[in-house]
Amino acid sequence: MILGLALAVFGVAVPFIGSPYMMGVVFQVAMWIALAQSWSMLSATTGYLSLGHAVFYGIGAYVCVLLTGTLPFELALLAAAGSAGLFAALVGMPVLRVRGPYFVILTYGLSELVRHVVMRIESALGSFGRMIFDVPSTEVLLWWMVGLAVLATLGAYAIRHSRFGAGLAAIREDEVAAETVGVPVTRLKLLAFIASAIIPGAVGGLALLRTSYFEPAQAFDPVISFTIVTMALVGGTETVRGPILGAVGFALLSELLWSSLPQLYMIVLGLTLIGFILFVPKGLSGLLGRIGRAA
Amino acid sequence: MTTPMLSVSGLRAAYGPVQVLFDVDFDVEPGSVTTLIGANGAGKTTIMKSIAGLVAPAAGEISFEGRDITQAASHDRVDAGLCLIPEGRLVFPGMTVEQNLRLGAIAPAARAGHSEMLAEVFRRFPRLEERRGQQAGLMSGGEQQMLALGRGLMARPRLILMDEPTLGLAPVMVKQVFETIEELRATGFTILLAEQNAKVALELADRAYLLENGRVALSGSGAELLDSPDVRRAYLGM
Repeated sequence: MILGLALAVFGVAVPFIGSPYMMGVVFQVAMWIALAQSWSMLSATTGYLSLGHAVFYGIGAYVCVLLTGTLPFELALLAAAGSAGLFAALVGMPVLRVRGPYFVILTYGLSELVRHVVMRIESALGSFGRMIFDVPSTEVLLWWMVGLAVLATLGAYAIRHSRFGAGLAAIREDEVAAETVGVPVTRLKLLAFIASAIIPGAVGGLALLRTSYFEPAQAFDPVISFTIVTMALVGGTETVRGPILGAVGFALLSELLWSSLPQLYMIVLGLTLIGFILFVPKGLSGLLGRIGRAA
Repeated sequence: MTTPMLSVSGLRAAYGPVQVLFDVDFDVEPGSVTTLIGANGAGKTTIMKSIAGLVAPAAGEISFEGRDITQAASHDRVDAGLCLIPEGRLVFPGMTVEQNLRLGAIAPAARAGHSEMLAEVFRRFPRLEERRGQQAGLMSGGEQQMLALGRGLMARPRLILMDEPTLGLAPVMVKQVFETIEELRATGFTILLAEQNAKVALELADRAYLLENGRVALSGSGAELLDSPDVRRAYLGM
């Protein structure tokens, strides 16, 4: 909580004190916190690991690019979030029937499917990327993104500490047992899926406004999904601070690598992930907890 | 003749093309212990799962306290007052004893007064209170069975379905499970018990049904089935 609060204050203050570069970094960090935290609402709680969260981000970006100019950007972002949630509601029932590795592959496949469909639609319309003009200032976008990161963190916290979260944890432990004690398994999974989709939709919209350029292959890039999962795992999935630590650590690491060792960037990131999975299964959060207890 | 608490009629169930239940009929009277006995694969677990809503029957009707629940969702059945203690116990292994028990009261009807219920479960099973902070997956089979039953009681059921509660337990624990069932009956619970341990189950049962290949082959009081030459030869080894 203190960690989150400090980050939020820093994020809001950064336009007054920091350079454009600094603002860019904070925007990225806030974005990844919002995404990883949203992902954790479904995947960390139930153990249904989504490898397709780029689809919600992409839908948000697409809806936002179609509506910007027609609607004020605040409403376009709301529509982006709503569309991502609606999409989750529509596909959730069949998708959440499968578990384990099948769910992982299915969410990845679904995300790729939507990416290709949007690419076909766009090329059929003769569009090779859309530019948008008249976007809000960088400061405004940054505040929105920090707001989403805070909202996602509060949401993830609220879910974990509610009866809803207890039901989701029961599903992760043993789905049949959860059903025998009276957890409405299907309904809870669907609600968690929708909850985890909404904020990524708005994040996609905001990221679009920041780059002011839409290109389907980029908006639905599967690397977004991979990065979310990596950050959440590196940070640790057992606590709400995990995704924050993962996003901050990862974003800072990548900034450092890009500036000093650009040619080794992906290699080092890959090694980091392998190292964490093998030696620090509870992530940075678990590591901090262990150090805290030892001290 | 009182109305049965649970009434199963014409129940059929299949896993894919393989039919496992053929027009099964039976009743459970309120306040009784009713036992389903039969060999492995006779269909006991499928019957239990159908009643709990974990398996969708192909045909037939299940009614609980006069209400048709054949199509009801499993969580609505728990809320209505019936609870399955599943085969293999299925405790939440990574959670503590207390977390397991609290999850047992997740059904809306069980939420009010779940602290009193927790106290009652601890009174019934002092061992669970001693171990309330222990991770459930690390406990012995007997303790896990106690926990599964305690978790079921947290839902405040009127009918408890117990599927093979003694499976894999040491003889001393088996005895304890049956004592617990008697205590539960004495305090007003109704119990449907599926057991391979036919002798003890029949001694305890008010009413019993012998299942063979997905059909009810024989029914009667527990004592009647104990005296039946077929049961004695095939299931009691006498």
